[in-house]
Amino acid sequence: MIWLTQAATIARRELRGGLSGFRIFLACLALGVAAIAAVGSVRVSITAGLEREGSVILGGDAEVEFDYRAATPEERALLDAVGTVSQVYDFRSMAATGEGREADRALTQVKAVDDLYPLTGTLTLDPPIPVAQALADDGAIIHPVLADRLGLEIGDPIYLGTRALTLRALLTREPDAGSAGFGLGPRTIVSTAALEGSGLVSEGSLFEVKYRMLIPGATDEQLDALEVELETAFEGSGARWRDRRNGAPQVQRVVDRLGSFLVLVGLAGLAVGGVGVSAAVRSYLDRKTGVIATLKTLGAEGRVIFAAYLMQIGVLAALGIAIGLVLGTLIPITVGPLIEARLPVPVALGVHPGPLFEAALYGALTALIFTLWPLARTEQVRAASLFRDATGTSRVWPRRRYIVALAVAVVALVASSALLSGIPMLALYSAGGIAFALALLIGAAWGVRRLSRMLAGTKAVRGWPALRLALGSVGGPGGEATAVVLSLGLGLTVLAAVGQIDANMRAAIDRDLPEIAPSYFFVDIQPDQIEGFLDRVENDPAVSRVDTAPMLGGVVRSIAGTPASEFDHWVTRGDRRISFADTPGDGTRIVAGEFWPEDYTGDPQISFAREEAEELGVEIGDAVTMNVLGRDITGTVTNFREVDFSSGGIGFVIIFNTAALQGAPHTWLSTVYAEESAEAAILRDVAGDAPNITAIRVRDAIALVTEALGALAAATSWGAGATLLTGFIVLIGAAAAGERGRTFEASVLKTLGATRATILTSFALRSALLGAAAGVVAIVVGALAGWGILTFVMEAPYSFEWRSALLIVVGGALATLLAGLAFAWRPLAARPAGVLRAQD
Amino acid sequence: MVLSLTDVELSLQGNAGMVDILHGISLEVAKGDTLGLVGPSGSGKSSLLMLMGGLERATGGSVLALGNDLTTMDEDQLARFRRSHMGVVFQSFHLIPTMTALENVATPLELAGAADAFERAEAELDAVGLGHRTDHYPAQMSGGEQQRVALARAAAPRPDILLADEPTGNLDQATGAAIMDLLFDLRDRHGATLIMVTHSLDLAARCDRTIRLVDGRLDAETRNTPDLRVTDAATTGYAKVGE
Repeated sequence: MIWLTQAATIARRELRGGLSGFRIFLACLALGVAAIAAVGSVRVSITAGLEREGSVILGGDAEVEFDYRAATPEERALLDAVGTVSQVYDFRSMAATGEGREADRALTQVKAVDDLYPLTGTLTLDPPIPVAQALADDGAIIHPVLADRLGLEIGDPIYLGTRALTLRALLTREPDAGSAGFGLGPRTIVSTAALEGSGLVSEGSLFEVKYRMLIPGATDEQLDALEVELETAFEGSGARWRDRRNGAPQVQRVVDRLGSFLVLVGLAGLAVGGVGVSAAVRSYLDRKTGVIATLKTLGAEGRVIFAAYLMQIGVLAALGIAIGLVLGTLIPITVGPLIEARLPVPVALGVHPGPLFEAALYGALTALIFTLWPLARTEQVRAASLFRDATGTSRVWPRRRYIVALAVAVVALVASSALLSGIPMLALYSAGGIAFALALLIGAAWGVRRLSRMLAGTKAVRGWPALRLALGSVGGPGGEATAVVLSLGLGLTVLAAVGQIDANMRAAIDRDLPEIAPSYFFVDIQPDQIEGFLDRVENDPAVSRVDTAPMLGGVVRSIAGTPASEFDHWVTRGDRRISFADTPGDGTRIVAGEFWPEDYTGDPQISFAREEAEELGVEIGDAVTMNVLGRDITGTVTNFREVDFSSGGIGFVIIFNTAALQGAPHTWLSTVYAEESAEAAILRDVAGDAPNITAIRVRDAIALVTEALGALAAATSWGAGATLLTGFIVLIGAAAAGERGRTFEASVLKTLGATRATILTSFALRSALLGAAAGVVAIVVGALAGWGILTFVMEAPYSFEWRSALLIVVGGALATLLAGLAFAWRPLAARPAGVLRAQD
Repeated sequence: MVLSLTDVELSLQGNAGMVDILHGISLEVAKGDTLGLVGPSGSGKSSLLMLMGGLERATGGSVLALGNDLTTMDEDQLARFRRSHMGVVFQSFHLIPTMTALENVATPLELAGAADAFERAEAELDAVGLGHRTDHYPAQMSGGEQQRVALARAAAPRPDILLADEPTGNLDQATGAAIMDLLFDLRDRHGATLIMVTHSLDLAARCDRTIRLVDGRLDAETRNTPDLRVTDAATTGYAKVGE
């Protein structure tokens, strides 16, 4: 192994030369690694926070939740046997400033709690009074947003349903907010006693009851055992179990998905960085051609040379990765408090080795992939040819073992990203996408060069020397086309894809939804209120359409004899809202079987939604048993309906014939389609006359969804921004590397009579041409990616969003223009004599 | 006079401070003259040529070309002046590597606004025997071919003054001789004033006059008549200036 020692000696001596040529190399690697490490660290910090504070977020060590009903005394007795139990009602309602039609109203998510609340964690109130004091004697605690919306101050009356309460405190921090998931209104907390007589929680209305349990000293194994025990005891009751290890599943899911997705975006950034790394190594080795040739002449074997330079690049890569890891650790700690303030869950900031290892692995593999090829060529080239070919333009294929090593490194990178991201298919698609984009960009760079070459020779550009010079330079040998198009193109591609998806989603929400979606959902309309309600809305000339349906909760027990627990589908999990009807209703399409006759009173029949029936394998004639408010009802599926849940109208998966369920306690659901100007009056009248009815204004709900989408798009744009920044650094590197060439060119052109304006125009044109080319490719690939994700993942229609696309092209052209012009000053200022004589 | 230099000084910033390159150079070149600049390496002959072409700015004195003082013109004025009146040939050819031979030759014509730039460039390449290599890039040509392209490029705009800085310095003897024949042929055909830096006394002797520089000063000037050319160079070389 003496050759390794020799290589190490050479490497050590060569490194004395300093790192001046490796700034771009280090920056590219450090930035890519830092982005991945930072995203991973934030994700792990949130996960660790969720784990550490699991019982606080959940509001107990474990929770059992029922829909539309409280636990029966027997069920409650089972729960009480486990530990200390606190009961919490959760439902949507309208908070009002008074009674009657004149009061102001706003949607709120109500939590009605017992004396034990909160079992874990602490509520922060303003003023800082104990929770019990705030809730005593019909007191209420509300979120400051709700107080602002209704103009309420401490001490003011606040109405929930028909109950008048007193506002005692504002809710500054709710420890168990993260477990609640996505709420449509700000929080109100009252005591369970205050609900009595409010008319809000009655049989058939929509609410959840949670039983939170404090089980001192319970281990995870004990929780597992308890879960099995209670699930068996509550089988078929629709009860759902959750424990402290999964306190905020929605938040956890979003964080996991977004984190994984951002790591993939980070990998795209690393790929862009790889282009810069490769360029830096090529240029370094080109500069070292003389040294390598000399070493070979002096008797150094190829493997010694290869190892010597691999060691040097390895040391530099390690340095770049280390810088990236330090940045990737510091960034989350710096911005962590900002993230924590925007999340309903705690964040455990700190150094997490997992994501750092992941980032280092990706960084090392990327560095290896992008440097192996040029490094391997040093071994293959003969000393004599090195001397002859001092510009390093020879293109010799490396030996097979290096090509195999390269393939192994690529497979290792793709496989590790698939494994570590937790979303293997998306990771593989992304790797494919990045490879496709890189290939397309290389192809595009070639195409741009060919096209420029062709155009430069046409008569059309003769007499336009600045343009012809630019085209000649882009198309001629030794140009920057490939480096620029690659480095900028991939970053822009990611940004274009995000832009296309975001713009499409927004367009769908802004343009399509309000046209087909109703103005209001009214829920919890009691049977004795439906007549008055319809009287109000149907006689309003501003209302174009009113749909109503009875609604009640039920749990699927079995389908065609198979227990519901054996299906893995949302329809068979927990409580489902079901309905009953005499007719299919306007606009409903029966796609198989026949709907029962209008006055049918025979054995129960079921109309099933087609798509869900297909997914569950339900067939016409199958028997479906449901538990409706404690009673099992078995019906026969006699027809399938086409239900479009995306229209925002009323849609039930399961509808029984009227006679089957008419006797069961139920409420009515109604959608009202009205002109926007009439919305406020409808709400005032309906809620004023029947305060228990909850009105969900669709426009408000859409605004919330849009806001959430905006936050997602912003997070993704930040990820794409990191990729773009890396691209820009590579671009700067390419521009800096080309500066010497441009200085020479400017000097020759000056000698031939070109003014500085002509030269500058030519430089600007070539930059803009390349930037625009990168932008165009980015749009093509970005649009393809956007189409793919929207069509296959989100199952939404796609249309090309030209505004976002135009921004990308202009942005790309501007970025290259800036980078190009930043390095145009020296070439323009240089005196021709000095430059040209230096080359003689 | 086509060129008139008076008390020209040139100092340049070097790594170790200012370096004085030329000291009080005064000389005149008449229309149609051929002038050879000779001298040991570092004597300042190439710098003097650069000053004459406005490629370097004198730190003292004046450089008049066709009656225009190059020392008072800015970079763009100098570029426009060269475009109309000067052609320059370098030792290392200095073709633009991203342009074909034809494009290289057409560039100064285009910059001068010639509508028939490419037709003239083609004719010029024909004249130097490269009519068949118009679409080749510099990297695809030999040194001799590249220098012929450079000659065509310099001659294409029909300049009043042709400046050549060791045009055969990077070429073998036979190729160099061919290039010199071409250069003098072009000069004869177009009647330009030719100023050439060279290390070769034989080449210098082909000029009407030869000026020798030593340490940035004019050391000697020889007027080469067809009979004297070889003798002078072979014996003492040069008469002292002012003798």
